[in-house]
Amino acid sequence: MLNTNKVRLMTKLALYETKEGKEDIRLSKYYKTDYVRYQVIKSIICATVGYICILLLSFMYKSEYLIANAVTLDYRTLSIYVLGIYVIVASLYGLVAWVGYSIKYDISRKKLSKYYKLLKRLNKVYNDENTES
Amino acid sequence: MMPLLVFRERVKNFYQTHDIYINPVVKFIFALISFVTINKEIGFDPRLESLPVVLALSLLCAFTPSSIMVLLATVVAALHVYYASPLLSILIVLLLLIIYFMFARFTPQYGYVILAIPVLYILKIPYVIPMLLGIIAAPITIVPTVCGVLVYYIFQLVKAAVNTQVNNSVDDILMLYTNVIDNLKGNKQMIMTMVIFALVLLVVYYVRKMRFDYAFEISIAAGALTCVLGFLISNVILDKSDQILAMILGTIVSAAIVLVIHFSQLTLDYSGVEHAQFEDDVYYYYVKAVPKVTVTTPQMKVKHINVKDMSQSLAKGGYHSGDEEDEEYDEEEDAYNDSKDDFIYTDVRTDRKNKTDN
Repeated sequence: MLNTNKVRLMTKLALYETKEGKEDIRLSKYYKTDYVRYQVIKSIICATVGYICILLLSFMYKSEYLIANAVTLDYRTLSIYVLGIYVIVASLYGLVAWVGYSIKYDISRKKLSKYYKLLKRLNKVYNDENTES
Repeated sequence: MMPLLVFRERVKNFYQTHDIYINPVVKFIFALISFVTINKEIGFDPRLESLPVVLALSLLCAFTPSSIMVLLATVVAALHVYYASPLLSILIVLLLLIIYFMFARFTPQYGYVILAIPVLYILKIPYVIPMLLGIIAAPITIVPTVCGVLVYYIFQLVKAAVNTQVNNSVDDILMLYTNVIDNLKGNKQMIMTMVIFALVLLVVYYVRKMRFDYAFEISIAAGALTCVLGFLISNVILDKSDQILAMILGTIVSAAIVLVIHFSQLTLDYSGVEHAQFEDDVYYYYVKAVPKVTVTTPQMKVKHINVKDMSQSLAKGGYHSGDEEDEEYDEEEDAYNDSKDDFIYTDVRTDRKNKTDN
């Protein structure tokens, strides 16, 4: 005999697992600190790639001037500027990612608590079935 | 209003039962429009413009996630520019990489916005996007919206640069390149458009969050008004009076489109027929769950009668607010009971597991 109550619960769980719950369940495998740190590192790496692209663009934009003054350029101040701006950009992205992904993790935990409640109900149904048989 | 609501229910029913076929068709049409517009706007490479290529790309997009469509459109656009001027295509690729790594990667699910804004710009109705996102999404979608505007202006500048390009000597191309960057940096119209789009999105979002009747409709109107006012001011500042009529018409059409989308609610509370597969110790389950919303068409009529009753009782002078509350309470109770079973399980197929096999 089919247990319709169980089918109902399992359907809801299966739909959640395949749709919006997919990301939540993936996040639940991390501790919050691990997840946030991982995302911060990823954001900083992406910001670095973006910054390198911006540097390349600026180099191409100013190439005429740079090549003409290649000998007389003050490379020390230039590199300090480049590095300083990089540090500011990277720390800004790290900070925003840290705050943003912490909030995202907390929200996903809240959504998961509903899922766990349904799982508990399903477990109860299983237990009832076992005691009946 | 009633025939419209019934029509909406019919459309929804049809969509819910046939969504497996409708989704790819709709995606195919969107992809086709995108590729045709890209080809029309910056179609430098005749090979990419040929009908078989466009159809094949659109067909591919029909069966893949929307992010693939964005990627393919970007690649096609970059290849077009590469055909005309390789150095400018490097510029395009670098700018797109910067947009992706610095901004777009934070909202991957809204990648399509970055493609939609330039395409809709060419169709003269880019105002749809900020209004629609205000209705269906959160303020974070300002990021992809602004990126979309940036992409549109980048391609406009590149198009102008390629058209003015006379010969291919390195100096000329470098000059072209610095020109594009200069124009991009000092493009006041672009920055104003970004600010106005962000404002429209915020206005629509916050007005529709307010608790009063017709909040959604009023929010769309408020968004359209913000848009018209914003662009009027920017046109006055930039002294571009030739675009005012097109802008106002575009805003009205955009508001109408958003209103239709909101009315049909296909994107908002759509939950179609769901197919789920799972198993327990004894069975494999193949469940087809049909949402109960599909059978609520007659409920609209019930509401209509209630309104009549209320007006009659008001006319008699015997209106008891308590009755109304009771009714509302009952409805809520019903809704609560319904929400316990959101689906009708029409097609629960089970296969008994054959454990003793072999």
